Amino acid sequence: MRLMLNTLLLVAAVGVWGCQQEDKRVIMTEDVKSDNALVNIVTKPVIHAFSWVIGEGVEIDRAVTYVNKDGFLQLEIAGHNRAFNPIRYEYKVEWLDKDGIVIDTTTSKWLLTSAAAKAPFAIKAVAPRTTAVNFRMNTRKIPN
Amino acid sequence: MIKKLLAFTLLASIITIVGCNTPTENVDTINDQGKAVMQLDYRDFDRAASEMVQSMIASGTFKKEGGGRYVVAKGRIVNDTMQRIDTDQLMAKVEQEMTRSGLIVMTAAVGAGNAPKDSLVHSVREIRDSDKADEFNKDTLQAKGQLIAPELSISGKIIQRNVHYDNNKQQVEYYFQLQMNNLTNGLVFWQNENIIGKRGSDKKVPW
Repeated sequence: MRLMLNTLLLVAAVGVWGCQQEDKRVIMTEDVKSDNALVNIVTKPVIHAFSWVIGEGVEIDRAVTYVNKDGFLQLEIAGHNRAFNPIRYEYKVEWLDKDGIVIDTTTSKWLLTSAAAKAPFAIKAVAPRTTAVNFRMNTRKIPN
Repeated sequence: MIKKLLAFTLLASIITIVGCNTPTENVDTINDQGKAVMQLDYRDFDRAASEMVQSMIASGTFKKEGGGRYVVAKGRIVNDTMQRIDTDQLMAKVEQEMTRSGLIVMTAAVGAGNAPKDSLVHSVREIRDSDKADEFNKDTLQAKGQLIAPELSISGKIIQRNVHYDNNKQQVEYYFQLQMNNLTNGLVFWQNENIIGKRGSDKKVPW
């Protein structure tokens, strides 16, 4: 009887835990949200070490371009940081005309940005000329 | 023996002094890997100008109805920092990019206070209205009513705030504020603030 009751309680607990739907629009970092059976004070160091060993970092999910109502190409890059620590880096966007030639502009400079730990990020840019039809972006580590 | 020793010591000293001098090198302004500094340097002006221009273009407010470009006059850009900054370090880049974008054109005929304008715009007209006009081919003198009045003005401020961070560090915040004002109705057409923060040793002076 006791065994049956304990089993039922365990099944109920797993069921409640498993059925919780996290709203993907809210990013709960591990130091903010509650721990669970898989991520807790015991397993966190192992998970972090593994992440560090395999060198997790920033990844780009998609790059979207569109021409705004004034005829300028706008860019939005969406990505996420797979690492357990914030990553600061610099990026430079260069704009290309229809012949693939880089447009000479003083706005193509190294700009500082960062991505919070285990969180998505977005980078936005707008071309300074209406002749821009494409882009290329470069990234680099912050110089020491 | 002593003379030889003295000569050797002198030679070794000269070689050491010459060899230990820090060599001069040109800064690679395209991909500068240099360290950050507490003062404002060219990279900060580049970043601020780039972000300001992108904000202006993305705002969509500079597309003139009926086509054409807005005529913009340069207003006062105040330097409220501890550094001797020529505000043209920021404004020249902004004006250049906005002009090249095809959205605006700057006027050299009108400016606020000490804003640089080309004094020749008015000098040639003074010549036209003086006895000196006789020396010139009348067809080449500027006719009256040719100047175009500005529709917008650009003004702003660069502010510096020094903040005590902890026992060993200070934080210096630079606020770049720019706005475009409509000279017809006095309304603020566009406005943006860009912050550059630096944190470093409190032994370093930020000017």
